[in-house]
Amino acid sequence: MNVKYNYYMNNNYYSYQTTPMQMITAKELLNNLISEEKLGYCQNCGSCTASCPMAKVMPDKYNPRKLLQRVHLDPEETANSEDLWLCAWCYRCTERCPQGIQPTEIFLLTRNFATDKGVIPPNPQMIITEILRSGRSMPYDEFIDELRDDYNLPPIGEISERVLEEQRLIAGARFMEKVIK
Amino acid sequence: MSLEYSLYPGCVATTREIGYELAVRNVYDQLDIKLNKVDDFSCCQPACLVHSIDYVKGLALTSRNLAVAEELDLPMMTLCSSCFGNLSRAKYMLDTNPRLKEDVNKLLGKAGREYKGTVQIEHVVTTLYNDYGKEKLGSDIVNPLSELNVAPFYGCHIFMPAKYSDFDDPENPVKLDELIVTTGAKSIDYHEKTSCCIGCGSFFGKVSEEASVRLAENIVRSAHEKGADCIVTTCPFCIMQLEIGQIKLRERDMRFNIPTLHYVDILGLALGIEPEDLGFDLRRINIDPVISKL
Repeated sequence: MNVKYNYYMNNNYYSYQTTPMQMITAKELLNNLISEEKLGYCQNCGSCTASCPMAKVMPDKYNPRKLLQRVHLDPEETANSEDLWLCAWCYRCTERCPQGIQPTEIFLLTRNFATDKGVIPPNPQMIITEILRSGRSMPYDEFIDELRDDYNLPPIGEISERVLEEQRLIAGARFMEKVIK
Repeated sequence: MSLEYSLYPGCVATTREIGYELAVRNVYDQLDIKLNKVDDFSCCQPACLVHSIDYVKGLALTSRNLAVAEELDLPMMTLCSSCFGNLSRAKYMLDTNPRLKEDVNKLLGKAGREYKGTVQIEHVVTTLYNDYGKEKLGSDIVNPLSELNVAPFYGCHIFMPAKYSDFDDPENPVKLDELIVTTGAKSIDYHEKTSCCIGCGSFFGKVSEEASVRLAENIVRSAHEKGADCIVTTCPFCIMQLEIGQIKLRERDMRFNIPTLHYVDILGLALGIEPEDLGFDLRRINIDPVISKL
């Protein structure tokens, strides 16, 4: 976990905004994120959980405040847990956190860690595979263009092979291997 | 000079919400706003999915679409709020982290693309509010919807987090309400106005599916109790979620019939466009409560 965070933090991939006027160094950031004592950056106010639509209707399945704590305390366990994949990216927690912690970004980095270990739930894996295969998150089918034609809408067709090749070149072989199993 | 955009069609609108796409095209024709077709766009590569595999490569895949738009030298307009939010997030990340931009450009270079930072990202609702302007829109209305009670539903990605898109106040958004009032309709206040349909997470498994039905129940019930004739959203994903949510709720003996429309749908009606040209026959929930108030 530390290696992964270190990699991103050294590269300034997101800014920790508790002290907006100065960017803290990667080492400080890493310590803040990981060490138990520094968990104090999160005041446990619960604004994230109170704002979260998933926690509102599934309180026994998802709690971003607790998930954030678990990322700090036991990244290994958290990376393997199902609730890491329940965030629906509405960004309410990131908008409202009084400490400027960005739970959405921290959960993404934790998912990176999980997928590095080969942990990826079937549905996300299926959809990402589809995006890389066809360039669309929703599968294309000829009947879609037939229906579009009925409404005088221009055909969408398949995404061109050239665009798909660009996607593959950007993603690289390792990315593709992690997804397409 | 008339307005012109590169159309970023997205996956949901073009394959699952083509009634909405039809409405946008007909409304924009009537307003004389030009939408250009671009062949090189692909999926916006949602953060919640693609960026889960690799933060930086995910951003690079998203930014490929921004690089395509920059070459065309026109603002890009998305049909879907989630595309808008995801593309705006990528732009924000790259514009505020020079090192990240450098790394992403190395990846884009492999595909012969470059992100410069000049792209302007718009959404159907932001173009109508900011570029066309609600005063001008008001003067185009020929058929004011004075009998219609509309429950505005903002969704998430068009205005949240504010630092990505900067369209509206994230705690107390008003711009969709203002646009609704422009059509002559009444915009009603209700508890779930700024709630989430969880569309972006609803395909992740059984827990997410159940959550989306429960949220749909909250939203539709709240709008129903305040006497809404319909819910009006900014996003095709919200439409799909709230319509399918109502269908699933019938299996639980909860029978709501609140038509869910996009803002362009009621705008189209107010501009005098016929319901069939707004794709109303492709709606999953019976649209009569709206039609009877015209």
